[in-house]
Amino acid sequence: MSVIKVEKIRKQFGSFVAVNDISFEIEKGRIFGLLGPNGAGKTTTIRMINYITIPDSGSVLINDEPASPESQKKIGYLPEERGLYKKMKVGEQLLYLARLKGMTDKDARNSLRYWLDRFKASDWTKKNLGELSKGQQQKVQFISTIAHDPEICIFDEPFSGLDPINSELLREVIIELNQKGKTILFATHRMEQVEQMCDDICLFNNGKVILKGDLSEIKRSFGNNTVKINFSGDGSFIDELKNVRINNRSSNFAEIRILEDGLEQDILGTAMKHVTVTHFEFVQPSLNEIFISTVNKDSNSSPAKAS
Amino acid sequence: MIHYDKLFIVFKREYLTRVKSKAYILTTILAPVIFLAIFLLPAIITILSPSTVRTVAVVDETNSIVQRLVEIDSTFYFDKSEEGIESTRQLVAAREFNGLIFIDDEVLEGSKAAEFVYGSSGGVTFVERVRSDIRNTTREERLERAQITDEIRDILAMRTQVSTRIITEAGEEEQDTGALVFLGFILGFIIYGAMFAYGGIVMRGVIEEKTSRIIEVIVSSVRPFELLLGKVLGVGALALTQVFVWGSAIGLISLASGSILMFFGGFGGSSADAVAAAEADLPFTIPTIGADLIIIFLIFFLLGYLLYSALFAAVGSALESETENQQLTLLVSLPIIIPIFFLGAISSDPDSTLSVVLSLVPFFSPILMPVRAAIMNVPFWELALSVGLLFFTFLGLMWVSARIYRVGILMYGKSASVKELIKWIRYR
Repeated sequence: MSVIKVEKIRKQFGSFVAVNDISFEIEKGRIFGLLGPNGAGKTTTIRMINYITIPDSGSVLINDEPASPESQKKIGYLPEERGLYKKMKVGEQLLYLARLKGMTDKDARNSLRYWLDRFKASDWTKKNLGELSKGQQQKVQFISTIAHDPEICIFDEPFSGLDPINSELLREVIIELNQKGKTILFATHRMEQVEQMCDDICLFNNGKVILKGDLSEIKRSFGNNTVKINFSGDGSFIDELKNVRINNRSSNFAEIRILEDGLEQDILGTAMKHVTVTHFEFVQPSLNEIFISTVNKDSNSSPAKAS
Repeated sequence: MIHYDKLFIVFKREYLTRVKSKAYILTTILAPVIFLAIFLLPAIITILSPSTVRTVAVVDETNSIVQRLVEIDSTFYFDKSEEGIESTRQLVAAREFNGLIFIDDEVLEGSKAAEFVYGSSGGVTFVERVRSDIRNTTREERLERAQITDEIRDILAMRTQVSTRIITEAGEEEQDTGALVFLGFILGFIIYGAMFAYGGIVMRGVIEEKTSRIIEVIVSSVRPFELLLGKVLGVGALALTQVFVWGSAIGLISLASGSILMFFGGFGGSSADAVAAAEADLPFTIPTIGADLIIIFLIFFLLGYLLYSALFAAVGSALESETENQQLTLLVSLPIIIPIFFLGAISSDPDSTLSVVLSLVPFFSPILMPVRAAIMNVPFWELALSVGLLFFTFLGLMWVSARIYRVGILMYGKSASVKELIKWIRYR
C-alpha cells in the first residue's frame, strides 16, 4: 500500500514552474530518497505533501486520502530551514507544537517526557531555546518533529548543519523509527547518506522526475561498469585513459567509470605497466555517479528552463 | 473552514507568552503610575511650593492710583512717589524691589501707557498680576473722576455667563466643549498609538516566526490563515487587557485623587473640595465620560486594531527583518497618520460634511469617529454606517492579507516589493 501517492502535481509561481507534472509513490515502511540539485523542486514537493501549499493541478494522497489538516497530524516534518521560538521555554514550545499536531495535553506530555529523556534533554525544559547551544537546539528540533509519533517522517536535508554527534543520533533515530514501521521521506542532494539508508529513490531535475525506483535495481541497471583501483606508484597514467570518467581520485586510489564496453581489461593492463596494482575491483556505480550522469544527460537533452 | 481547536491553541500561545513578558507587565503597570504623576504632580507642586515674596514700588504723580494699589495689597505695593522716579529705579536695580510702576496724569488721561519696569526675576504670573491691577485701578480712578453712577458701574462690571449644554436623550447635560475636544483628542491619540503599538507587535511576531524559520514547522500543522487569525486575536486580547487595566486604574485614580490631594494639601474640607481645587488649576472641567462613548471607543478601537493588524501582518510576512523595506511599513502607516492632520478641522466643526465623510472612511474612522463622538452626539445611522463599512473593509482586507501572508511567510531571502505582494494575491 502506498502511504504517499503523488499524482501529476504541478506548481507554478508566476512564470516559474517549480514542479512540473511529478508523480511517485512511497510504500509503507520504506525509506524514500527525494534527490536532486538545489532548485529542482524538492522543497516545493515536500510542502505540497505536508499540505503547506496546494498544487495548481494534480493530487497528493496520504493513505489514499487527499492531503488535509487531518493528514498533517500523521506527518512529522523537519524542514531544511529550521528554527523554533528563541524566546520561548523549550518545554512550552514542544508542548505547543505537539498540541498543534492534534495531541491531547496528557499524551503530548507523556511523549515529550520519553523523548526528552531519550535525548538527555530533560533539564532544558525550563530554559529559553536561545540559551541552548546550537547542538542542543538541534536535538529539541528533532523532538518537535517526532514527538507526536507520526506515521510518516519527512526530513528535508536532515544532516545539513548538524554536528557529527547529532548526525549520528539522527541516523539512529531514523533507523529506529523505520524499524517501528514508520515511512521515511528524505530530500537531499547529499548522496552518501541516501546510499546508506534509502530503499527507493526519486531523482528530480528542473521540476521533473528523471529517474525513480528501487535503489538497488537502479544501481544494477547501471551495470558493473565502474572500476575501483588501488595502487602504488605514479598515477599519471590515469589521465591518458580514453572513454572513461574519473569519479574519485587520490594519490593511490581511483574510481573510474567505463563508458565503453570491454575497456576493463585495457585499464588493468595499462595500470600494470605503470604502477603496482594492489587492488582491482568491478563495482556498481555510486549513487553520486548515477546522479551526476543522469542530471547531466537530462540537462543536455532538455536545455534548462530559465528560472 | 477553520479548526477552532488549533486556532485556540495558537491564540493562547500568542496571548500568554506576551502577557507574561516583563516588558508588557512593566508598561501595563507603569503607564497608570505615569498618568497619576502627570495628573497629580502639578497640583501637588503648586500646593507644596512656597510662593516667592515680591514687592513693587509705585511712583505715582497723580497720587490716586497708588492709594488704590496699596489698598489691594499693602505687602506687595509700596508708595515711593516722594523718592522720585530716578532714585526708585536705583532701588529696583539694587533688587530692593522687584519692580517699579510709574504713573502720571497722562496715563490717567489715556494718552500714554503706564510703565512697569522690573528686574530680571519677572515671571508671567507676577507681570500679569501687576498689569491687571494697574488696569483695574486706573479704570476705577477714571470712572470715579468721570463721576459715573454706581448703577452704570455695576453694568460695566457685569459679565454675562454662557453655559454650554448638550441635548441628549436623557435631557440636557452641561458640558464644556473645550473639555470635550480635549477628551476627543485623547481618545483619538490613544487609538492612534494603539494601532501602531499593537499592529507593530503583530508585525514583529510575524517577522520573528519567519526569520527564526519556525514558520515552516507551524504551517505543517496549522493553516496559515488559522495562524494569522490566532495571532491577530491573541494580540487583540492583549490590547484589551491593557485597555481594561488602564481604564480601571484611571477610574480608581480619579476616585482616589481627591484623598491624595487632601493629604498633601491639608485641605480642611472634603475630598470633593480638593478635587474641585485641583480642577480649578486645569484650564477646563473634567468631562464625564458616558457609557455610550466608552462603547463607541471600544468598537472602533477593536475594529481599527483588526484592520491594521491584518495589514501589518501581511507586510511583516513580506519582510526579512524589521529594519528592511521601510517604504512598505510607511505605506501601511500612512492611513493611520493622515487622520491626525484632520483632528483640528474635525474638532472645530464636527458636523461638517468633511467631518462626516472622513469619519465614515474605513481607514480613518477608527481614529476620527471616536473624536467626533466625544465632541458631539453622532447620529446613529452615521455610527452604524461607519462600523459597517469598517467591518466589511476588515473582512476584505483580511482576505487579501491572508493571501499575501500564506505566500510571504515561505519566501526566504529577500524582502518583497509592493508589486510582488500584488502578484502573491493571485497565486493559487
